[in-house]
Amino acid sequence: MSGFQLSAEGVEFVKSELKRYETRLSAVIPCLYRVQKENQGWVSPESVSYLSQLMDIPEAHINEVLSFYTMFNREPVGRHHVQVCCNISCAMNGARELTEKICKELDVKEGEVSKDGKVTVTRVECLGSCGTAPMMQINDRYYENLTSDSALKIIRELK
Amino acid sequence: MLKCKINGKEVEVPEGTSIIEAFKLSGQDIAHYCWHPGLSVAGVCRLCMVEIEGQPKLQIACNTQVQDGMVINNNSETVKDVVRWGLDFHLINHPLDCPICDQAGECGLQDQYMQFGKYTPEMAERKVKKRKVVDLGPTVVLDTERCILCSRCVRFTDEVSKTHELGIFNRGDRSEIGTFKDRPLDNKYSLNTVDICPVGALTSKDFRFRQRVWYLKTAESVCPGCSTGCNVNVYYNEEGLWRVRPRYNAEVNGHWMCDEGRDTYKFVNRKARLLEARVGHKDSWQSEAPGSAAKQAGVKLKEVLESEGPESVALVLTGQYTTEEYEAAIGLFQSELNSTLIYHWVNNPESFEDFDGLLLRGDKNPNTKGLLQALEQAGIDRPWQDLLDRLKAGSIKTLVVAGPENQSVFPDQLEKLEMFKEVENLIWLTAGPVEGLEHRAKPTWQIPLKTYIEKAGSFVNHQGLKQSFQVGTIVVSSALTLAEAVTLLAGQELELSAQDQILQQNRKKNFFTETRGAL
Ligand code: SF4
Ligand code: SF4
Ligand code: FES
Ligand code: FES
Repeated sequence: MSGFQLSAEGVEFVKSELKRYETRLSAVIPCLYRVQKENQGWVSPESVSYLSQLMDIPEAHINEVLSFYTMFNREPVGRHHVQVCCNISCAMNGARELTEKICKELDVKEGEVSKDGKVTVTRVECLGSCGTAPMMQINDRYYENLTSDSALKIIRELK
Repeated sequence: MLKCKINGKEVEVPEGTSIIEAFKLSGQDIAHYCWHPGLSVAGVCRLCMVEIEGQPKLQIACNTQVQDGMVINNNSETVKDVVRWGLDFHLINHPLDCPICDQAGECGLQDQYMQFGKYTPEMAERKVKKRKVVDLGPTVVLDTERCILCSRCVRFTDEVSKTHELGIFNRGDRSEIGTFKDRPLDNKYSLNTVDICPVGALTSKDFRFRQRVWYLKTAESVCPGCSTGCNVNVYYNEEGLWRVRPRYNAEVNGHWMCDEGRDTYKFVNRKARLLEARVGHKDSWQSEAPGSAAKQAGVKLKEVLESEGPESVALVLTGQYTTEEYEAAIGLFQSELNSTLIYHWVNNPESFEDFDGLLLRGDKNPNTKGLLQALEQAGIDRPWQDLLDRLKAGSIKTLVVAGPENQSVFPDQLEKLEMFKEVENLIWLTAGPVEGLEHRAKPTWQIPLKTYIEKAGSFVNHQGLKQSFQVGTIVVSSALTLAEAVTLLAGQELELSAQDQILQQNRKKNFFTETRGAL
């Protein structure tokens, strides 16, 4: 099998998840997360085939879950995945303008990977942090109560 | 048994019956898309709503079990209104395709709309556009805009064919049926998805755009494709057959049939048929009416018989004819021609016993069992080698072969022709022209026979189940049945009544005189 493989711990994780729920299908979400983590932030078709074999679940059904949730990336993303919430509370606090500024600062189009492979900026729906709107998530971290200055400062400091 | 009341009618059902099954049992209509008796319950279309006395909210009938004393209805205004709205939601993004959709005339949406249509649509949104005319595989075309996401096709590939190709990808109004990485939907049962798709999302490549279904008539039959003998409906008009679909039989095929079996209409149509008898040999061929050709061949046969004795005539039978035909042919051979040289031509001995675990069997004949039974009854048990030895010794002067009507499953046909090359007279009975026969140097009769759909009779399937069927339609009216052909060969006259009956039946089924339903 060419291409993607999980680490030994990853494989262990998948095996234990498979035992954890009433149905094996329930383990698909956590396992896809694991794959995304070990595959530079996205889930490739090859990794779906790999996971399908490992979990003994048809590829079509893994793909159903994968394509349902926007939290899974089906295209490569930059090392830093900047997700700016543009749902109601954030939007009312200027999140859409903020997204444009961030894109301009990084010279990247929304949803695309920057030329140096460093970042991807995407708009997302509510991340459940409306009280501290506007906000964004970069990889696993939340950045809240943003202003354009604070946001751009954070962006500039990305390595 | 549980007692319940459905729309005021008392019904008794076994424990574990769902409400929708109780509706079916009591012969009452209920709107539904996702439920299918051969698949698991999905409960996603929300059309099968019913009101249950004592329950504040409507329930879906497919996923609710009957309890003793339940009082259920689906004819209250509340239920009707919910179904009307449910249907309207299904139609939000449905394209206005009916005029160019192959499902028209047998579409679940059209059918339900007659009763539950809102007629004044209340949806002002633009329709979401999705993929159309997707080449899903060798047999099926997909239109994702027409799909109502009932998931029947997905459940079929999961639960029945167990090939797991299909899934519902993406979310909300962008959800669509697809295969992982657009791989082809390619399994031996794929066309069942087309049958169970309630709308025009999945259509058959072979059938689409060839006929409007409301111009076709249906006849019940048994698939001659293999020894399983799936029960089928054939769809035909005055031009011939257009498609074959499964008919439910719990003991044989359930709700399904294989893709291969659906091709069994092709060798029936005139294009593939021998329309007249061919008499002669490689340097000169003449066309004759089938009946008179059989008579002439019979005269020849009798002549040889008189000079060479009964051991000079042999009969080769394939497993493609009805039990009644075998009995008649074997009987006549024994009584009129005094010959017991009757042999069973097995087309693919290596894979004869194969079985794919679902329906398809390696024995590609519908009636091998029937043939064996008829031979046994007649006390005949001659190995093929016996025929070969006699051919070699040159003692057989006339060979009558009831060749396969489905020639595609007889890959050894040419080889057999070669074996029979030296026989003085060869009388080949079959529905279609036989490749290679025209090069034969010695006297040959090719006499056209009727196919399974053009005659009444029965097949005995692999499990020993005898399944009878009636004449569906006649495609080549001058062709003979095997029994008729052997009767003429044996020098007897045909009883006219049998033919008359068929003609009469045929007239009764006349296309334009059949009663139509109300508009
Ligand atoms: S393609 Fe047909 S059977 Fe499959 S989910 Fe859509 S409507 Fe149902
Ligand atoms: S399984 Fe055999 S009998 Fe059934 S449809 Fe296929 S060929 Fe015909
Ligand atoms: S709207 Fe942005 S976090 Fe909820
Ligand atoms: S038939 Fe009951 S929800 Fe579809």
